[in-house]
Amino acid sequence: MNGPRPSLFTPALIGGAVAGLLSAIPFVNCLCCLWIIGGGALAAYLWAKDIPGGLTSGEGALVGAFAGVVAAAADALISIPFATLNSVFFRRVFERLSAYVEDMPAGWERWFDRTGPFQVGWFFVGLMIAAAIFAVLGALGGVIGLSLFGRKAQASSGPQPPLPPSAI
Amino acid sequence: MTGRSRMVAIYAAAGMGAVFWVGAILAAPYLWSKGERLALFIYACFSPVCHQIPERSLWLFGHPLAVCARCFGIYSGFLGGLVLFPFRGGLRNLVQPKVRTILLASAPIAADTTAQFLGLWETGPAGRFATGFLWGGLLPFLFLPALADLAIGPSKGSRGRNAGADFRA
Repeated sequence: MNGPRPSLFTPALIGGAVAGLLSAIPFVNCLCCLWIIGGGALAAYLWAKDIPGGLTSGEGALVGAFAGVVAAAADALISIPFATLNSVFFRRVFERLSAYVEDMPAGWERWFDRTGPFQVGWFFVGLMIAAAIFAVLGALGGVIGLSLFGRKAQASSGPQPPLPPSAI
Repeated sequence: MTGRSRMVAIYAAAGMGAVFWVGAILAAPYLWSKGERLALFIYACFSPVCHQIPERSLWLFGHPLAVCARCFGIYSGFLGGLVLFPFRGGLRNLVQPKVRTILLASAPIAADTTAQFLGLWETGPAGRFATGFLWGGLLPFLFLPALADLAIGPSKGSRGRNAGADFRA
């Protein structure tokens, strides 16, 4: 007898939280999009472990995409305490750039001094943009994770029922 | 809409998305060189997914790209993989690469990233781009079958336990 199918939300929350945490911490976040892809892969692994018969690659992409959205939210929230540090870091990056480049865009210094409603608005705009980007990267991670770890997840969850003839 | 026309639509959408994505990365330094403030917006949009350190980036029009060399390698490799995708059995061939292929393509970027993270060696932007490009080129062959699986339905080999036929070995 098959029980109810485990929800994808718990694996997506775990994978997304891990990816969001790692991509928000300064210096650890130097691996760029690879943390998000890794979070999607982790979510797919965790979900595949609980699903008798395994996941399809589309389901892997789906759970990875959800993990990406969770990662964007986690990244935005965790980045708040690091906002000052990140601002200082990016200001230094642009100051170093200004040593190489003469024609810096007008007003680039003010880019790091955003306060008030504009900063709140930019926070939500940034969150939406990051959620869209992270969802795509997480979906990629979900598919990769399923391809790499799907068999191990299946093996660790015990014997599997045979595939229906239509799937073979 | 038939399965084939859906697959064509998925391929076209992925292609347009990738062109837009890579185009935005290349447009940022161009717009900067023209003094357009839109360049700052593009750099800001890519900042959540990349450290954008100038020394680790490729430069164009006298300015760094909107993402680092490794990220640009991944994204442009993805675009290159999309171009090659139809030549691997057409759009109807949705069998994903074997696990050993994924591991082979991932080994250089994994080794280089890990080594640099641990401070074992430092690779220049060209090396970062090359490892990213190799890995990014693999991604469409994983991603498009997954999108087709969602839009059209599971195909032979789309289930994790036998994806790429390797899981039955």
